[in-house]
Amino acid sequence: MKYHLITLGCQMNIADSERVITTLNEMGMERTENEEEAQILGIVACSVRQKAINRVYSRIHKWNKWKDKKSLITFVSGCILPSDQEKFMKMFDMVFPMSQLPQFPEMISQYGIVTQMGLHSQKENQLSGNKLIKKFWKITPQHSSTFEAFIPIQNGCDKFCTFCAVPYTRGREISRPSHEILEEINDLVNNGYKTITLLGQNVNSYGLDKQGSEITFPELLRSIGEFGNTLQKEFWLYFTSPHPRDMTEEVIDIIASYPVLAKMIHLPLQSGDDKVLIHMNRKHKLDEYRQIIHYIRRTIPQATIYTDIITGFSGETNEQFLNTQKALEEFKFNLAYIAQYSPRPGAVSSRWNDDIPYEVKKSRFHTLTGVMGKISYDYNQTLLGKTTRVLVTGTDRKGEHVTGYNEGKIIVRLNNGSQDLIGKFVNVKVTEASDFSVAGEL
Amino acid sequence: MERGTEQLIITKTFSEVINIRFLTDSTFVLRFQRNGIEFQAGQYIVINPAGNKQKREYSIYSPIDAPYLEILVKEVDNGFLSRKLKSLKPGDLLETEGPFGYFVLNEDKISLRQHLFIATGTGISPFHSIILSNPNLNYTLLHGVRLGEEGYDKDIYTLEKYIQCTSKDKEGNFYGRVTDYLKTHPVDIDTWVYLCGNSSMIDDAYTILEQQKVPSHHLHTEVYF
Repeated sequence: MKYHLITLGCQMNIADSERVITTLNEMGMERTENEEEAQILGIVACSVRQKAINRVYSRIHKWNKWKDKKSLITFVSGCILPSDQEKFMKMFDMVFPMSQLPQFPEMISQYGIVTQMGLHSQKENQLSGNKLIKKFWKITPQHSSTFEAFIPIQNGCDKFCTFCAVPYTRGREISRPSHEILEEINDLVNNGYKTITLLGQNVNSYGLDKQGSEITFPELLRSIGEFGNTLQKEFWLYFTSPHPRDMTEEVIDIIASYPVLAKMIHLPLQSGDDKVLIHMNRKHKLDEYRQIIHYIRRTIPQATIYTDIITGFSGETNEQFLNTQKALEEFKFNLAYIAQYSPRPGAVSSRWNDDIPYEVKKSRFHTLTGVMGKISYDYNQTLLGKTTRVLVTGTDRKGEHVTGYNEGKIIVRLNNGSQDLIGKFVNVKVTEASDFSVAGEL
Repeated sequence: MERGTEQLIITKTFSEVINIRFLTDSTFVLRFQRNGIEFQAGQYIVINPAGNKQKREYSIYSPIDAPYLEILVKEVDNGFLSRKLKSLKPGDLLETEGPFGYFVLNEDKISLRQHLFIATGTGISPFHSIILSNPNLNYTLLHGVRLGEEGYDKDIYTLEKYIQCTSKDKEGNFYGRVTDYLKTHPVDIDTWVYLCGNSSMIDDAYTILEQQKVPSHHLHTEVYF
């Protein structure tokens, strides 16, 4: 029996999908990229934008039409708002939160498909809440890469930013047991993985939901750092996304102390204006963010810093936008993931007037992109003539050159590398620098 | 690098409603079982009547040492959850998660500091908890409402420390909005200011306080969305 799986949204959803694939494969199913030849059709949904939800609706309408001609089973999981969940219940055969994935074989068996896993999983029905998500984390993911892996260490969010629906789709923060995380890292590194990214909606508040029975995020990083020192194998450990509120000096000190902890920090700012930050319910001020950046620069001078920015948030004045522009110029990020604001269904801000015209958002987006291009270009110029360690990850769009990134996640094109290098570390002498990337030779 | 408070243990629990106490026709205090939830004064919880999927965040109204939890609720026109909460009876079940939030006093030199609490409407809720939890606190509470009758439980505050600003009648201590009061009563720059309420008040008050040179690290906000 074949299945077809569509994954929408962020890296967290992709990581979740890797566990869905494992579950289906272990049930004896075969994955197909051709939805027309599949008997089981599934979606890992995303509620971040209405566009993603619309894709779910359009796909299930199509699949339900096919049901007139053939026997199909459909399911949806992932980030789903309660309001959509009720509608999906009428359209899909199965709707379940990702934490209930261990029960999936049992659900499937309700449709007459009995698998060995299905018979074993009946006891999972008696589990709920935290126990279910713990079962979910025990599923070994089917990683799509042989050298890059993503490990979810936490599910949910307690921060309630007004532009985000995650607290309503994934619920409160639940931290994964640290021994499982460390075991998974151990397995991955011993199997030749070169980069590992810890995932969580508020990754650096890891452990705070436990009653002192779990280590905290800095302690987790320290354990990984010690493990890296012991193992003597080369790998880079990243994490995303942290919240400035929980970005303590201790975290930064630990990153500075261990070679395997990549000297690249992604720290979402969202806006450079205090009032906009209040509207976003970000719980930090620009000056507090500034202090964190200053500490990173002092402690890890070579660190690259990435951020997230939203332009055209509800009520954002031109003066407030200019404060964001000034913040980019001041902090000199290596890259900013800039999004034009669009209301996210279920988020608090979706109830507000989306009052910044599309053309204004677009213009602000282009302005910031231009600013970032210049900052990135200036930084990349400083790499000229230097040798940088690069993980080769693939080829460029034309397939003419292999590409990769260095520890700071600066994209590097190799002018004289071959595809045999994909998945390996190499030293590259930088000979060209441009906006957002550099090029060089072995 | 100031980070405010350590996060406390977050729990999800079911609590029985103890009673509902009406302060006006549309505003009430909902009291329910505490079930061992530990919190810092100023934090909020997420709440929904058992069996309902809609949840909402409410600041905790009761002090940290009360054997129960309370929230202050204003019934919103066409609001599903506030109407549902209003209809609850003793013994009904509530699902609660929390506590959450960082809108708490900086414990450092707390007794030496002058605090100005600025609230609109039910935004007084965290200050009620903070003031009752810290009996020796040096504070002034500025409360903006439409009518004098909306001075929720105002008798518990020390008379000279509570300033009610009313915009629709003259039954308060000051006729006008809290922002009008701030314009005519400049704030000492050493004051630690906490603002809670609707975002337009917080926007306007923030601007006034910045103009009065109150340092931004003295300004703390909790917006009711």
